[in-house]
Parts: sequence; structure tokens; C-alpha cells
Amino acid sequence: MAGVKLEHIYKKYAGSDKATVIDVNLDIQDKEFLVLVGPSGCGKSTTLRMIAGLEEISEGKLYIGDRVVNDVAPKDRDIAMVFQSYALYPHMNVYQNMAFGLKLRKFKKDDIDKRVREAAKILDIEHLLDRKPKALSGGQRQRVALGRAIVREPQVFLMDEPLSNLDAKLRGQMRAEISKLAKRLETTVIYVTHDQIEAMTMGDRIVVMKDGIIQQAASPDILYNHPTNIFVAGFIGAPTMNFIEGDLSEQGGAVRFRATGLDVEVPAGKAQALKDKGYIGKKVILGVRPEDMHEEPVFLEASPNSIFSAHVEVSENLGHEMLLYLNGVGKDSVIARVDGRSNTKEGQNIKLAIDMNKIHVFDKDSELNVFQYEV
Amino acid sequence: MTDMATKSRLEKLLGVTCSVVACSETEWRSMQESADVMNEQALSIELGGKVYFRWHQKVGSDVELLTVESDRLTGAERALIEWILQSSQLSNKEGSHKSGSSEEQRANQLGQWIHGKLGGQYTGVQDEELPESIGLKSRLLPSMIPFLLVSEHPQLTHTTYTELYKLLKSYFGGEVYLIPLEEKEWLILCAEELLASAEDREEDGSEKPEEALALFCEGLYELLSNEWLGECHLAISNPMVPAHTLLSTVGLLRETMYLGRAFHVTSNIHLPWMLHMERLINSIPDGVRRQFIDRVLSRSDVFLDPETLTTLEAFFLLDCNVSDTAKKLYIHRNTLLYRLDKIKQETGLDVRTFGDAVLVKLILLLYKVTKRK
Repeated sequence: MAGVKLEHIYKKYAGSDKATVIDVNLDIQDKEFLVLVGPSGCGKSTTLRMIAGLEEISEGKLYIGDRVVNDVAPKDRDIAMVFQSYALYPHMNVYQNMAFGLKLRKFKKDDIDKRVREAAKILDIEHLLDRKPKALSGGQRQRVALGRAIVREPQVFLMDEPLSNLDAKLRGQMRAEISKLAKRLETTVIYVTHDQIEAMTMGDRIVVMKDGIIQQAASPDILYNHPTNIFVAGFIGAPTMNFIEGDLSEQGGAVRFRATGLDVEVPAGKAQALKDKGYIGKKVILGVRPEDMHEEPVFLEASPNSIFSAHVEVSENLGHEMLLYLNGVGKDSVIARVDGRSNTKEGQNIKLAIDMNKIHVFDKDSELNVFQYEV
Repeated sequence: MTDMATKSRLEKLLGVTCSVVACSETEWRSMQESADVMNEQALSIELGGKVYFRWHQKVGSDVELLTVESDRLTGAERALIEWILQSSQLSNKEGSHKSGSSEEQRANQLGQWIHGKLGGQYTGVQDEELPESIGLKSRLLPSMIPFLLVSEHPQLTHTTYTELYKLLKSYFGGEVYLIPLEEKEWLILCAEELLASAEDREEDGSEKPEEALALFCEGLYELLSNEWLGECHLAISNPMVPAHTLLSTVGLLRETMYLGRAFHVTSNIHLPWMLHMERLINSIPDGVRRQFIDRVLSRSDVFLDPETLTTLEAFFLLDCNVSDTAKKLYIHRNTLLYRLDKIKQETGLDVRTFGDAVLVKLILLLYKVTKRK
């Protein structure tokens, strides 16, 4: 197994004046499960394809282990790929599909058999080994594609949205299985996805990309609780973080945030940082996660300085939780996530309080988080 | 380097178009006489406004001639070509003793015959029976599945015919033919029986032949991208008998490759039966295309926005289904509806209606091949 290092990697296509991937620097540790996430066209798949050797690197150095592999063909990079549009070899049965790569590499028959049967056992497809791909379901085909990668015992697994062709239930199941598998095989995995649930649940570290640039690379916990900018804050988390534009002012020694329908006090620690950075008297953007707005009387009683009123436009009861779409705070509607047992109904005017210790404050111009997380 | 590669290099270096014609040894002698060339060993002659270079003596008895319009060549260039051909022939002779297998030689012979007949063209191709002199002819009588492979990988020059042939042979597990065509372009032929081998015992065999062929193409692409050089392009066509219809098949595959790469730039697998509309649009002259866009759209820049393009492409791919498109794009259904409404406001075209959807689909395809200011 090995780590992967990307040093100042750029990708520029002929005829295009803008690079698709810009100055990507990443040090992926051996056995790490790294997830690349971002919206369509952010450069995550291109980055993975460069690591795979399917795209030429325009600038920069790519290392797998200690070796620079910029000019090494995919087959010689000791990697295995599983892509969204995985294709099996249609005229070979499952066993042959899994064994073919090893056969090409001149592995001994016994060794091939051992590896194929072991991988089939891990993936629970032992009973399918004689079947042709045509006779398999989507989920079973996906497992075979994974099996074909596993038997190679590569230094690095590359996966590009491998679950996106599966239905929601199967996707959840396979998500857990891939995570288990990565731990069991103790191998480095680089995984590309659109899906932030996949990113948050599978990755040891998540890299959020936008317009070819890495926005933040951190553990799921840090990414969620300490997003570096508005983009990351809005991209990670569903429903998305609420953003409310307003002013910061100082009143009787306390720092207050004021916006349409909202006048709340910033806790002392955060207030000091805002003062030190010169934000008093300036416009900023307040970020509040839906779950950090509370309607329980106990919380309202304990947080008199962060109470606000709002009108419930829509309520969605998901059983274990309820989403309230609220009007009257800031310019746009905000979403609060409250307990599923709440009696709140659409059309009601209600009082909520913000957990001010969990707020985020973003610079209006640079969109950077004022409270940058420091390791 | 193959003969085709040498020819392509020469064309690039000299900025001229060369063609290859075949003639018998006797015809060559009589051409020499007509051109008043006394030296039988002469490598070139000038006749009827063309310079003919004696290029290659093939495995059969024919001589292949490289021809160039004489007014396109200076004396020095002509001498230089003679020298290059001489060196190339010498190294071919040496190479054939050392490495080139007889299979490779036969494949090269067929590739050169195809090149002689087609050059790089793909339209207006007339079929012609393979001549008896083609070594592979007797093996090309059964029905076969044709693939066209194009790879522009920078490491291509380091790979050999044998390496790719071996890989294909172990993949298909039986008779397979790898025919080098132009530089970076190969024709692959494999037995049609392979299609039947994809059927499972328990299957009812209800799959359409095109679906089965597409799966084969995807499988082969997977193999080549994982086990060969990576990025490549593949086109496939319906099974055919190479001895009878090889030229039209190569023409169709080349056209498919061209259309697929022009209209679907992110695709690597190109299927002729998926490109009917593209074929039609490609045949419309550029001026008429532009005229159409100008008439239909008041603002021609609307569809240049990447977000609009991605949205519409996904929407059409999923048969204009709003829910499926929203899911595919990872956006809320309302966001998609908002985007579609915005397009309607800006263009006057509502892609949720059949007529407007057809117009927008046509415009999107036209955009890809129309020169715009």
C-alpha cells in the first residue's frame, strides 16, 4: 500500500483559456480514505482521472508511493479503478471477470483462484461466480466491478461515483460495505462523489472543490463545524446552513448582530475575536445550521439574548425530525430542524432561539469564515 | 514506424497530400519507360503532373506507389523523400527478420490495402471485395464484429503491435484481427459468436443486438483503459463479413468516430445507431446552420452558459423527466423548474413542450459544430 501526493497539479485542456484543475496540492496518507466532493464541473473527476493516468497532467508532479508517475501508463501505476459507468466483460463469467487482470499479470492459477474466492466471499458473491454479467442485477454487477479491483490488491483504489447508478436503498448498503472493505483491506482509497452523505460517512478526510480549486481539506467533523468559507458551509450539510446578512455593533460592552427580524447577542469569546479583527460596525454574514435553532421552552428560557420570532411557511415532518421553513428573518426564508414530536403547524408564528456558541460569521467580501479553525 | 505513419509524417512535414496507389511490377516498368527513366532502380518518376515514388513492395506481387502533385515538390524535397523511403525500406527489411510476425505483416498488408482505397476518408465509400492477394482474405469470410480504436495517448509510440494484439487475443479468447490503419487508428475484428457467449444459461436472450454490441464496446473500453494505455476512443458496428464489406464498414466506423467525438466530447464510446440526428446535422452546410440558429433564437449566447448546457443535456438524456433530471443533477426539483423557466424567459422556448424541446435539442447539437462569432 502507498500514499499519493499531488504537487501543484494543473489540468488545462487544449483550446480552453482556463485551467480545469488549479494548483492542487494534496498529501494522501497510506491507508487513508480520502473523498473528493464538489458540484458538477468542480474538477474532482478530472483530478481522479489524472491520478488514474486517464488524463495527462498539464503541470505539477504526481507521486504514488515514492515514485513520480506522471508518465507511467495506468496499468503500470499499481492502482485499481471503479467508475460510475463500470463495465464488465460481457462474454466472461463473474469468476473470469475478476481473474482476468491477474491472468494478464501472469499470476499463478492457484493464487488467482485464492484471490478471486476470497474477494467473492468478502463481497458475498460466491454464488454468482458462474454467472455472466447479463444475468446480474445492478448491485451484483457493482460488486463484481469492486471484486475485480480488490483481487489486484493495488496500492491505491480510485473510485469515481461508483454508487450513483444504484437505487437509494442499495446505495446505502454498498456505502457501508465499501467503508468496511477499505478498513479490512487497509488500503488507500480516493473516492469521488457528489453526495455529501457519502462524503461525510465514508471519508477519513474530505476535500471540497469548486472551480478546479481546493476550498478545504479536512476531517468530516472539522469540515462541518469549522467550514473555511461560505461555499464549504453551504455545500456540506442538508438542509444547507442558513445565511443571514446583517450588521455587527457594540452596545454596553456586548456585541450584537442585527438583521431583518433578528437582534441577537454574540457570546463573549466570539465577540472578542470580532472586535480584534475590526468587524464592529461592519456588515457580515451570519451562518446558522438548521439544527442550531431551537423552539423548546427550556432552551428559550436559557437563551434570552438569541430569541427571535418567525412565521412558519411550510413544515415537513420526517418522523424523527421536523423541518420548518420560516419567514421574517433576513432577506430569504430560513430553515430550522426541530424535534419530530413538535406540535408546530404551518401558518403559526413561533419563537425560536439560536445556539450562539455554534454560529459562524463570514466576511461579506471575501466570504471567508472569520473564526478560522487552527489545528 | 508503420508505412502509414511514414506517409502521415511526410504529409505533415511537407504540407502536401500524398496518396498511395498499387500497380503491378510490369505497370511500374512501363511507367518508367513513359517517363524516360532508364535506371530500373530509380525510386521516383515524374509522369502526367505527378511524382510517383516506388514506396513498398508488398507481400503479394503489387508495388505500392506514393504519389504527390509535382508542382508541390521542390527538387530537394523529392530527393529527401527518396532518401527517407530508402531508409524506411531498409529498416523494414531488417525489422521483418527480427520482429514483425507474419500475423503483423498480413495485418499491415490489409491496412495498407484499406488505406490505398480510402485514404482517411469515410464518406461516399464504395465496397469492394478483398483481392486474393490479401493474405488474410480466406480468414475474413465469416461474419465478424468490427471495432475502430483510436488512441492519442502520448506514450503510444512506445507500445507495439504485438503488445496490443496479445492483450486483445487473451481478452477475446479466440480469433481476433488487429489491423493498423492510419497513425493511432486500428481496426479490430472479432468473431460474431462472441455475442452468443454473453448469453447466460438462464437468460431468455431478449436483448436487442445493439444493446449487446454496446456492452461489448464498453467491456473492451474498460479493458483498454485499465490494461493498456488509458484514454482511447472506440466505435463499434453491426457484425459483417470483412471479405465483402470491409471498406464501407471502416467508412461507417470512421464517420461514427468523427460524429461521436464532435458532438459528444466527453464520450469515449461511439455507437452509430445513437448518432442518427448528429449525422443529419453534420450534413447541413455551416451557413444554413447559423441561419437556423439566428432565426430561432433572438440571443444566441443563452446556451453557452455551462449550467444551462448541463441542465438541458441531463433533461434530454432523461426523456424530459423533471424528477429524474433533478435527481441526476443533485438539485431540488424546484431549482430545476426555476432553471427551465429562466430558459423559457430568455429564449421563448419551453423545453417541457415537445415542439420546443425538439428545437432546443437541435440547437444544442448545432452549437457543437457551428462556427460562431
